Amino acid sequence: MSGAVSARTKVAVLSFAHGHATGYVRYLLSRLDVEVIACDPDGATSGDTGPRGLELANQLGVTYVGSTQEALAWGPDAVVVCSENINHRALVEQAAAAGAQILCEKPLATTAADAAAMLAAVQRAGVALMVAYPVRFSPSFVDLLAQVRAGALGEVLAVMGTNNGQIPLSERQWFTDPALSGGGCFVDHIVHCADLLDSLLGQQATSVRAVSNAILHAEAGVQVETGGMVTITYPSGVIATIDCSWSQPMSAPSWGGLTLEVVGTKGSIKISPFASHVGGYGATDPIWLPYGPDLDAAMIDTFLRGVTEGRNPQPDGQVGLRTVSLMNAAQRSALTGQPVAL
Amino acid sequence: MPRLKVGMIGAGGVSHSHAPHWVALGAQVSVYAVAGAQELAAAYGLTAVPTLPQLFGCSDVIDICTPTLTHRELALGAIGAGKDVLCEKPLGRTVEDAKVIAAAARVAGVQVYPAHVVRFFPEYAAMHEAVAAGAIGAPAVLRFSRGGEGATSDWFFDETASGGIILDQMIHDLDQARWTAGEVTSVFAVQNPPTAGGRIPRNVVAHVTLTHVNGAISHIQGIWGPKGMDFRTSFEVAGGAGVLRFDSCAGGTTVANLAAPQVGTSYLPPASAEESPYLSELREFARAFQGGPRPRVCLDDGIIAVALAQAAQASIATGRAIEFDTSAVLATKEFAL
Repeated sequence: MSGAVSARTKVAVLSFAHGHATGYVRYLLSRLDVEVIACDPDGATSGDTGPRGLELANQLGVTYVGSTQEALAWGPDAVVVCSENINHRALVEQAAAAGAQILCEKPLATTAADAAAMLAAVQRAGVALMVAYPVRFSPSFVDLLAQVRAGALGEVLAVMGTNNGQIPLSERQWFTDPALSGGGCFVDHIVHCADLLDSLLGQQATSVRAVSNAILHAEAGVQVETGGMVTITYPSGVIATIDCSWSQPMSAPSWGGLTLEVVGTKGSIKISPFASHVGGYGATDPIWLPYGPDLDAAMIDTFLRGVTEGRNPQPDGQVGLRTVSLMNAAQRSALTGQPVAL
Repeated sequence: MPRLKVGMIGAGGVSHSHAPHWVALGAQVSVYAVAGAQELAAAYGLTAVPTLPQLFGCSDVIDICTPTLTHRELALGAIGAGKDVLCEKPLGRTVEDAKVIAAAARVAGVQVYPAHVVRFFPEYAAMHEAVAAGAIGAPAVLRFSRGGEGATSDWFFDETASGGIILDQMIHDLDQARWTAGEVTSVFAVQNPPTAGGRIPRNVVAHVTLTHVNGAISHIQGIWGPKGMDFRTSFEVAGGAGVLRFDSCAGGTTVANLAAPQVGTSYLPPASAEESPYLSELREFARAFQGGPRPRVCLDDGIIAVALAQAAQASIATGRAIEFDTSAVLATKEFAL
């Protein structure tokens, strides 16, 4: 039955630096048609309070190897890159050279130049590059997209997006180290909404204006921006704003969420893909029991289908690059407080 | 204390949000209007008077409920007659109009207040009080939204007359943002569709971003939507130690689930079973007019709110963020009265 064995897709998860790796590994392990290994060579030296490296691999029950080289030498059909943002480029380039299809955690890169180099690398190697934007797969967004395209809102005038979460601190320290993350909440939280806007509007921004501050978590000595507001204009005249702040208090019972409100000439629709929950109070703290579809699973299914069917799964590296470009424009705008043309 | 004699000017939309509450407070109310005074008087038991001088003659306080462009002349007239004045927002069509009114009030020694009623909405007042008490630490990122079916009277869509959605509607949240997070240093705004040929589109959305002195960021969304769209407001104020949220869609005391669709919405906020914020507002101003404590909103607040709206309009016109300096806005300048 060697045919059945070879039919299993070999997936290597490269790095546990991003906390999303945990969910990806769990889902991959649950699939009978996938063989999964993981490596996290920088985990031991990261100083993170959350488990990393072999310890986390053992908790998850995933086969662990000591280095990226070993993981790629295993001959994976596909890799999932979950490293610190700044290391995405090197890992994607190595994986592409090894002939693996790639799912890369967001943001694709910290600079548009890096993202463009990654696109060139996957094109040379003839492998697919998908960016981990799971919110695209939420039923509420799929429905919003359908309603907007069916004209339920008339002509779209404006969009308000929020992606507010708790700041990642001791458990994943690199998020607030600009040398590894590329910045603060701008880098972490602009791109999800930017991806949804890209999909919804099908247009490229003409100008971006952003402001940022570092009031939230100043007492923790955070050096990067923790609050930000980004206003985008589009060729059709549509205006959009993204609140990308790490403004969900650490005392909150949930990590935060994302909302998108689209206003058109016939009214508005607002989606909150992470709002589904049972709420209440325990002896000392509020209780928040989230439920709803596993967006990571839907995203990984799409990725794996692309791998096995030889198609380029969406959202791909091109939208990864466009959203990084928009994020870079916001960073430039925030330096002066004036709009930046794209 | 003698009964407060209030002279209302105007019998349009917002006068219906003032008249019954003046009556409820026990004021003796007269009204003068170019149209509709008799009907308003009949509806609420007021006395309609035929001329403005007669209104000034029989009132202690003048309550201006007229279109924006008339505020300057009417306020100056009332101040000239030695009356205290409550003026619907915006205080003036321009910063200059607002400052001329303020200068005249100082010279005459009368009280003039802009009716920024949202400061009296209990959810906004509760948020302001908690933030001021330090409940969420220093405010850092604030979002406000306000929208629903747009105004109906045509003058709202005439840029010259109303100043558009930013001066007429979003001024509420411009004032809230400043009241909550402090003075403003920069203003950036976008609007879609743009104002063309002096006409504000019937359906329009604008986004304004303020930067405050302490670095806090406020975002304000205003919507004039299609007919039948519910009026909704929301805010979220995030600070270093917590967050406060309100959404008029959720958490009300009455939740209806009716077979027939609701029709007949209004540009003004829906009435609720709780005390009207307009009543709370008029009560506080009435006390001030009768020698009581300073109300929560003062004349300078009215000037600065207009200046913020004007800066937002300048930002839309230039595509640039506009620097803002409250002390420069308020700096004394001699106006020809």
